Amino acid sequence: MSDPRVDIMRVGLLSEGTHDPGTPPAGIRRAPAGVDGLTTEHLIINMGPQHPSTHGVLRMLIEVDGEEIVTAEASVGYLHRGIEKLAEHRKFNALGTLMDRGDYVSGIHGELAVALAVERLMEIEVPAKADWIRSLVGEINRIASHLIWYGTFGLDTGAMGQFLYAMRDREALLDILEAITGQRMTFNYVRPGGVVADLPEGIDDKIRAFCDTFDRYLDEHEALLGGNEIFQARVKGIGVIDAEKALAFGLTGANLRAAGVDFDVRKARPYAAYPELDFEVPLGTTGDAWDRYVVRMGEMRQAARMIRQCIDGMPEGDYTAKVSKALRPPAGEVYASVESARGETGIHLVTDGGDTPYRMHYRGGSLFALQALEDIVPGHLIADVVMMIGSTDIMLGELDR
Amino acid sequence: MQPDATTISEMLASSDIAAEVQTVLLGVVARVSPSDAVEALAAFKAAGYESLVDFDGIDTGEAVELTWRVRSYALDLEACVKATLPYDGEIHSVWNVYPSALMPERETAELFGLKLAGHPNPKRLFTTDGVEPLLRKDVLIRTVEEVKNR
Repeated sequence: MSDPRVDIMRVGLLSEGTHDPGTPPAGIRRAPAGVDGLTTEHLIINMGPQHPSTHGVLRMLIEVDGEEIVTAEASVGYLHRGIEKLAEHRKFNALGTLMDRGDYVSGIHGELAVALAVERLMEIEVPAKADWIRSLVGEINRIASHLIWYGTFGLDTGAMGQFLYAMRDREALLDILEAITGQRMTFNYVRPGGVVADLPEGIDDKIRAFCDTFDRYLDEHEALLGGNEIFQARVKGIGVIDAEKALAFGLTGANLRAAGVDFDVRKARPYAAYPELDFEVPLGTTGDAWDRYVVRMGEMRQAARMIRQCIDGMPEGDYTAKVSKALRPPAGEVYASVESARGETGIHLVTDGGDTPYRMHYRGGSLFALQALEDIVPGHLIADVVMMIGSTDIMLGELDR
Repeated sequence: MQPDATTISEMLASSDIAAEVQTVLLGVVARVSPSDAVEALAAFKAAGYESLVDFDGIDTGEAVELTWRVRSYALDLEACVKATLPYDGEIHSVWNVYPSALMPERETAELFGLKLAGHPNPKRLFTTDGVEPLLRKDVLIRTVEEVKNR
């Protein structure tokens, strides 16, 4: 009986200096351009789903020629819970609980997208105060989400300190969100018609105190990670998604704006209190990992600006419209979207006049960002893969649904 | 934000595509036959709708209705293309026109039990082989009582 190890050793090696990479596994697309003139035996490396840099449970299959990547394929579905099917069995008021568990790092935005869709179908007029509270908690949640990204993105590059400082600030924000909504992550706070409860007494002082320190902390965050030469060397020029590619792959949010495309749902399709808030949309130029970093850091600064405006300009009045608890929107079809921390979160809602959705499709930014990743990873080094995944800030809970 | 329905009708007619264009709550919707969907989307792309932002399906009880949402950032316009496929029908991939359709097409094909033609990687996206097409109305999920009495 022959030794199977001998056959394994022979795979792919024809003679010295030549190489037959063989047929890649079904479904893996080979990079159109060669990586370099030297070829070695190609290996298929399995990254994830438990890899710490995959930010959830993402599995990447990468074919490498030495240290350089020839092809990449993402394998997803490890967190698929069937949110869209479950939504067909939930009352309209309870859809927010599912959305919280989709993008669980910025749940408010998912809840808001569903609420907007239902309100548009039922022509519900939302009180001004509810709109302002929605923008307030949305921006607090955006900073909390971006801080997680900031901390872990730094970890991906080998830095440690920024993660601890990011968690310090995020804890303060989660305390505020807990005081407002009763929960730290799965809020179930935004409902069709408004929000569940009014702002608690004294919360404005707590938020102001946070904002006063956060501006200074943000300067420190930028100096700590962005000012780090090693970090800059690892992200500048890496994972370029230019405007053409970003549009082709359907990117939205910070990933699209990093390529210089000026589109923000808060400006282009205004909702909640955003038409009355004064804020800027940070833009990048080349669309590399550094630009995505710069845009998100800028977004945190703008969010803090909006939080102040929300507290200062919070109108008096009801926090919710008078709506039935058993909502029955008329038969129809609508699409509502919001600017979440991960890009455009859209809800395509189809109703048949019943008390549950006939169909609810949940569009998130992460799935589209992942498609672009499959395209840009080939040609980079193995160590750059984590930079690219980290810089696009994909959320597997939202992607898998 | 919404294009003029007549402009869309004329644009599709100039590409010899029969379409019924309406302005509804969802937006401007062009209904085409499934065999014309790729050409219709190519016409939108040529008219400046540079991005496909969403693609999904709806089980109407008799067939699967597919919805593509295209957007032009330069013109600030948005429109939908719809086509109705029978349950044993085939989605013709539009990835050559809009690469962003790659994963949503795989998702829709597996979750509605449809075939996928012309796709470079027509594998399942979320579930493993043998899992029923979950978003079809004839695939039922267990009720609370059924789970308790398992």
